[in-house]
Amino acid sequence: MRGVVGHFRELDSAVEAIEELKQSKLGDLTVFTPTPRHEFEHALHPPKSPVRKYMLFGGLAGCVFGYWIAVWASNYWPLVVGGKAFSSWIPYTIFGFEVFVLVGALSTVAGLFIHAGVPRLTMMVGYDPRFSRGDYGIWVECSPDRLAAAEALLRKHGAVEVRGDR
Amino acid sequence: MATIAYEPRRPNIASANVQLPAVPDYEHVDDAIIATLKPTKAWFAMLMTAIAALGLGVAAFLYQVHQGLGVAGYNPPVMWGVYIITFVFWVGIGHAGTLISAILFLFRAGFRTTIYRCAEAMTVFAVMTAGLFPIIHLGRPWKFFWLIPYPNWRLLWPQFKSPLVWDVFAILTYLTISSTFLYVGLIPDIATLRDRETNPVRKRILALLSFGWRNTEREWRHFARAYLFLAAVSTPLVLSVHSVVSFDFAMALTPGWHTTIFPPYFVAGAIFSGIGMVFTIIIPIRKYFKLQHFVTINHLDAAAKLCLATSMIVGCAYLIEFFIAWYGGVQVEQDFFWNRVFGQWWWAAWIMITCNMILPLTLFSQKLRRNPAWLFILSIFINIGMWFERFVIVVPSLSHEFEPWMWTTYAPTWVDYSILIGSFGWFFMWFLLFVRQLPVIALTEVKEIVPPRLKHAHAHTPANAEDFEPEMPGDR
Amino acid sequence: MTIPVETTNGVKRRDFLKVLGVTGAASTMVGCSTDQVEKLIPYVTSPDHTVPGVSNFYASTCRECAAGCGIIVTTRDGRAIKIEGNPDHPVNRGAVCARGQAALQGLYNPDRFRGPMQRQNGTLVPITWDQAIDALHKGVDTAMKSGKAKNAVFINQHEQGLLHTFLDEWLALRGMPAHISYDAEAPFATVAANRAVYGVSWPKLDFGAAKVIVSFAADFLDGWGLPVPQQLDFAEARGRIEGAPRLIYIGPRRPLTGLNADQWIPAAPGTAGSIAKMLAGKMSAADAAAATDIPVKILEGLQKEIASAKPSLLVAGGTGPRALDLATEVNQLNKALGNVGVTIKPAESYGAWEGVVPPAVLNDVVAAMEAGEVPALFIRGANPVYSTPTGLGFAKAAEKVPFKVSFSTVPDETTALCDLILPDHHALESWGIAEPVQGTLGLQQPAMDPVFNTRATADVLLASLKPAPCFACPENPAEAKQHASDVSKFPPDYRGVVAKHLGGNGNLQNALPTGMLAGSLPRRTAPVAKIMKPAIVGEQNGDYYLATYWNLLMGDGRGANKPWLQELPDPVTKICWQTVVEMHPETAKKLSVEAGDHVTVKTVAGTVTAPAFLYIGVRPDTIAVMVGRGQTAAGRYATGTGHNAWSLLPASNDQAGGYQLVGVRCTVAKADGHTPIVTTEGSGRQHGRKIARAQTIEQFRAGETDHPHTFIGQAPTEFLPGLRAPVANDAQGELGDPKSAQRGEYDPNHPSGRAKRRWAMTIDLAKCTGCSACVTACYAENNIPTVGAEWQGPQLFADRKFPGANITRSREMAWLRLERYYEMDREYKDATWDPAHHPEVRVIPMMCQHCGNAPCEPVCPVYATYHTPDGLNVQVYNRCVGTRYCSNNCPYKVRYYNWFGYGEVDRAQYAFPEPLHWQLNPDVTVRAKGIMEKCSFCVQRIRDAETLAKVQNREIQGDEFTTACAQACPSRAILFGDAADENWSVTKLIEDRRAYHVFEELNTYTAVVYLKKINHPAPAGATA
Repeated sequence: MRGVVGHFRELDSAVEAIEELKQSKLGDLTVFTPTPRHEFEHALHPPKSPVRKYMLFGGLAGCVFGYWIAVWASNYWPLVVGGKAFSSWIPYTIFGFEVFVLVGALSTVAGLFIHAGVPRLTMMVGYDPRFSRGDYGIWVECSPDRLAAAEALLRKHGAVEVRGDR
Repeated sequence: MATIAYEPRRPNIASANVQLPAVPDYEHVDDAIIATLKPTKAWFAMLMTAIAALGLGVAAFLYQVHQGLGVAGYNPPVMWGVYIITFVFWVGIGHAGTLISAILFLFRAGFRTTIYRCAEAMTVFAVMTAGLFPIIHLGRPWKFFWLIPYPNWRLLWPQFKSPLVWDVFAILTYLTISSTFLYVGLIPDIATLRDRETNPVRKRILALLSFGWRNTEREWRHFARAYLFLAAVSTPLVLSVHSVVSFDFAMALTPGWHTTIFPPYFVAGAIFSGIGMVFTIIIPIRKYFKLQHFVTINHLDAAAKLCLATSMIVGCAYLIEFFIAWYGGVQVEQDFFWNRVFGQWWWAAWIMITCNMILPLTLFSQKLRRNPAWLFILSIFINIGMWFERFVIVVPSLSHEFEPWMWTTYAPTWVDYSILIGSFGWFFMWFLLFVRQLPVIALTEVKEIVPPRLKHAHAHTPANAEDFEPEMPGDR
Repeated sequence: MTIPVETTNGVKRRDFLKVLGVTGAASTMVGCSTDQVEKLIPYVTSPDHTVPGVSNFYASTCRECAAGCGIIVTTRDGRAIKIEGNPDHPVNRGAVCARGQAALQGLYNPDRFRGPMQRQNGTLVPITWDQAIDALHKGVDTAMKSGKAKNAVFINQHEQGLLHTFLDEWLALRGMPAHISYDAEAPFATVAANRAVYGVSWPKLDFGAAKVIVSFAADFLDGWGLPVPQQLDFAEARGRIEGAPRLIYIGPRRPLTGLNADQWIPAAPGTAGSIAKMLAGKMSAADAAAATDIPVKILEGLQKEIASAKPSLLVAGGTGPRALDLATEVNQLNKALGNVGVTIKPAESYGAWEGVVPPAVLNDVVAAMEAGEVPALFIRGANPVYSTPTGLGFAKAAEKVPFKVSFSTVPDETTALCDLILPDHHALESWGIAEPVQGTLGLQQPAMDPVFNTRATADVLLASLKPAPCFACPENPAEAKQHASDVSKFPPDYRGVVAKHLGGNGNLQNALPTGMLAGSLPRRTAPVAKIMKPAIVGEQNGDYYLATYWNLLMGDGRGANKPWLQELPDPVTKICWQTVVEMHPETAKKLSVEAGDHVTVKTVAGTVTAPAFLYIGVRPDTIAVMVGRGQTAAGRYATGTGHNAWSLLPASNDQAGGYQLVGVRCTVAKADGHTPIVTTEGSGRQHGRKIARAQTIEQFRAGETDHPHTFIGQAPTEFLPGLRAPVANDAQGELGDPKSAQRGEYDPNHPSGRAKRRWAMTIDLAKCTGCSACVTACYAENNIPTVGAEWQGPQLFADRKFPGANITRSREMAWLRLERYYEMDREYKDATWDPAHHPEVRVIPMMCQHCGNAPCEPVCPVYATYHTPDGLNVQVYNRCVGTRYCSNNCPYKVRYYNWFGYGEVDRAQYAFPEPLHWQLNPDVTVRAKGIMEKCSFCVQRIRDAETLAKVQNREIQGDEFTTACAQACPSRAILFGDAADENWSVTKLIEDRRAYHVFEELNTYTAVVYLKKINHPAPAGATA
């Protein structure tokens, strides 16, 4: 399936283009922006990101492990030190916490990678280095018969350049 | 149809939407910051100096390993010395980064934006440096891994009640998380570098390092979320790490160590020293790379306020220590504190008090807060002062304990000093390499606070002379 | 079957194997002399009594000083590894002093002569024994032919026994005069006075029987007389608490006896005599006060006290010019007071000083040598070149002697002069006999084969008689025949001599196991010295008196080549590896000198420049310097360590012919330079920490106690009886609760049964005198390295190149240390002089307290230290990574760290250069670089006893064994045992009224219980 990608110099024109594209339902949109802008979120209404769940479950797992390794190891070979209980759970909270943070944070990053679809080795079609510099891009993926309409729409909203791609 | 309005106003540096009026557009951000990545003679000179210092440290360490710790200045019962002091010193410095990038991020304190990358890198390298010292100070450094719980056929495990094992967990976690945090933040910037890069080889490498990041709105959405949660979880981590380090002392019954105030006191001290080091690093950078219009006086001003606040917390902690020593009525404790301030160790204690309590009070003056030169000088004093704070905690306590018969003194030797210098070499070697390879100011985050290009620029007034803060209030 | 192994220079294991290799050893022990064949032979036929890894014990007699204590030498696989007291011996009753234990380091001294040597054009070169004996012939022969044989001089280190007679007989045969039995340490004045008044040279002093003891400058707990028996009696008496004697010390300097005294009367040097006169009523208190520079009130108090307190015991030491007057006066006084027979028992006299010759005879010897009249000089053991006043000029004179032979075992200044070295066996390798107590003979038997290629002097002398043609034989056949018969009456060797005296080999063999038998030796009428009037050569000037002294460790210099003794701090000054000039802080202020600044002391005889040391226990008009260090040719440990105080002494004697050590005038001047004081002392005051506690006898009677049977935070004790902190109880977790399932080995019902026990120690500070013998015992038992030698300091540190450099960084490794605290309210430098008031002194042995709640344990990240079920706080060397956190968290600061590879052969800091490492205890690890170590309560002995009990299928008996320190302790202050088992004596003392724990408030529940010292203030009427 093919589509067109429009370059926008200005933020507001890109946003307007998106809003109209969404109404006209020409096809799927992918927006490129050098820096995250809330305007796009308002325009696209995407679902909430699920990465926070990774943090939750990864963290809990880590916490459990942190506690467990300390308690198990102290009871595995019981030796009295300083007349303290073999497994003194209070200080072991430190292990619970530290491993909670460790695993939680790492799994968050894992979640980011999974959902953002990185790492990837090839640039996807429609990407242009300028999108990381200052320009906004909108990649409309649609059936060939709608390409013209999409292109027209993009240009109408002031896309400085529109090119087809596949 | 969306209405986007920007009202020009004096930037409120406490809020997230601080503005950089002198930065016209995104392209300028790229050009200005990527321009800093060109190596220069001065840079090479500094790098060589750092490596030479590191070499000195390594040589001293090898000599120590061969001869035995006796070549260091240890004077039993002062069994801990320069190495532990320097360890705590670097860990402390390693706190500013995550603090600025995580805590200030949650608080939406905008002034962090331009300095946090620098601070984070500093954090990672500082912790990398700190992590060496517990090993350097071991009697048998080649056995350091015995502190790490790993399955082994001898079925031996570390002793989980020991604060040193807590340290291992805390420091390793902190190192992992802060470097992860740093790298995640770097990914879009590396992508930007990739797109600006002309040299195909470097381009390829950067492409790999950026994981093929392509700035789609979808990536940004998850990115923002992940970043938020990383910040959320790093915040308690920052607080926990130095608390755990403080347990090394607080858990002992040594007079001067055995006190419950240590965790908050250490955390405040850590942040204080960290910000000091941020100043020491960022002020020369912004001057040298001409980034004053990115790292503005407003930002320094705000950071200085934070510095002042933490300095006062630390100072308060000092006083409370003395008060409790007197109020607690334990004679051993009282003797010790007297000896710390008016006895054997008065000079160290007063260096500490002067540098950490008295000099920072100058930051009450806005004139000085907005004077980078003074901030730089002050930051040097803070670094010295904070090193001596740890000295005052470690050495006088051990040299003046319960047994009068075992009261001694302590004097480091050239081995201690060489390794101390080496640690700075190690730290700055990494940092110098960093500033030449990766942007010291976060490209994409700066772009967030730079006004975007708009078709209908009706409401927006572009940058003009009024909004550009001069180095000193008043002068142009 | 034999496995050849390549030769090597001193690898422990290989030496060990060499030992196993020796088969069919003739004597009762296997040997390990260095000329053993390098073969490995398994035990097809094992040496007698030798099982690898099992110790053999040999009863013998100590020859380190004249006392002749009975010792038991532990040998393992043919090596002597430990010296302990012989419990059945009448002199020392199982105790042994530091010097006695250090005999091992004389035996294994790395600088010992490996074999006979001869001086050939200036340097000593090794020769064979045949050549050596041949050379001895020729020398003796020429001497005899010279016709001056009657002037020949044989100086022998004084020792009891048959050698006296043997030597004299041999010399007589050569037409030479009787030998000089030389001992610089002998208290001649006292001996002479004793002979005069009591009729014996050294009566038994029964300190226990006395109500008050007055010591006139007699340091009977440290260097004077027979330290061990005196200390035993004294400590026993003081330990009685009720009716314990009060001790008063009179003398210009406050030595160990002075520190233990309840009252110190700092009489001016050499004036103690007037106090004796006063007590005898021959002088008024006022005059005495004027003479001694002591407030008259004090002397009157003393008068009253002596008058009232009966019986009393007055002992006179003193090395001043009028020492004999003093001693005689005091002995008369004892007679008058009726102490003779009560506290002084001539009937039970000691043989220590029988036959000792006053050094004054050396004056004539030197004169003769100067005149070139002396054809031959024989020296055995003694070191007159060093241990005589330099003013005497012995060395210069000796050079004029054509033929100088030394039989010494170790090189020293005297052997450096000699032409022929015929090294004797060390005492632990030789046969001998002594009569330490009248009517009892102590045997001396070899504990091992000779380490080196040495020979017993007597055997050498005998051999020199035998071979023909006999150079020395007269030409006249008749005389030759006579001579031959004279020769033939000698037994073949010295062992034969001993056996002959005992009436046959059989008697000797039977006596060996105990090392003692009834009998006596021929009394020797020593040539009496020409008693000279005390006259000091050269005119006396200087504003200060010089008081030189020796302590038990260095002695007259004989201890200086033994690292244990160098490293063991002086019990009083706590100085090691260094000679200091002791002066009162006021004197120092006057000279504007601070501790460590170099000062020059000058007398008519010479000068010494040494660091100044501020000592509050010396009169402001007196400068004290210890002799015994500063040797120039006495081996690696002694040479260049400290300064030689002998060089300050003019050739002057007291009336009895002993050296005058006190009362020479000297000047003191500040010199440039500063050397850190090599001391183990941090602060000499307790700062109110209540570490060493004491109470007066009144307080004790009043029942004052620091020993609450319950205190806040105390753990319940039903789980283990005995000590208030049983190990399993202070575990506040599962272990605290007896119902807990998960206690493992910590469960008293566990098969190991360890948790039933609780090893503990009590230390009675009323007995402890601070002599530090326990410290050396600990060094010997636990392979503790000495770290003070110059080359053991950190290399590449120019400023640290002096002996004791490591100690100045307080890196000494003494697991057990003696802390000496003055009860004063200011630093030494601010101390002021008041002849009437002197701070009380308390000594306390401090070692690992084996806390029930040990602070060191929970901070170790790798379980390198943890608590055993039987209450030991153990250190696992192999697991230690060296974080040193345990030491930081130890309130008692008793953990010691291996800063260097003291145990590693290839290092500059190696502490056991061959063959010193032969002494190492095979049961104890030699610790590696970078790990922590500490007192283990001699865990090896505990486990040994447990194993033995298991093997014999029985329980451990009460007081079955004890730790090294407790075994050696000459005051019997230390007691070790199982606090949970009523059969052990410790359990009684733990509940004693005087018992306390140090730093109880820290809730460490220590296993070491101290018993408070008891002070005996002057009774009402007498002022103190």
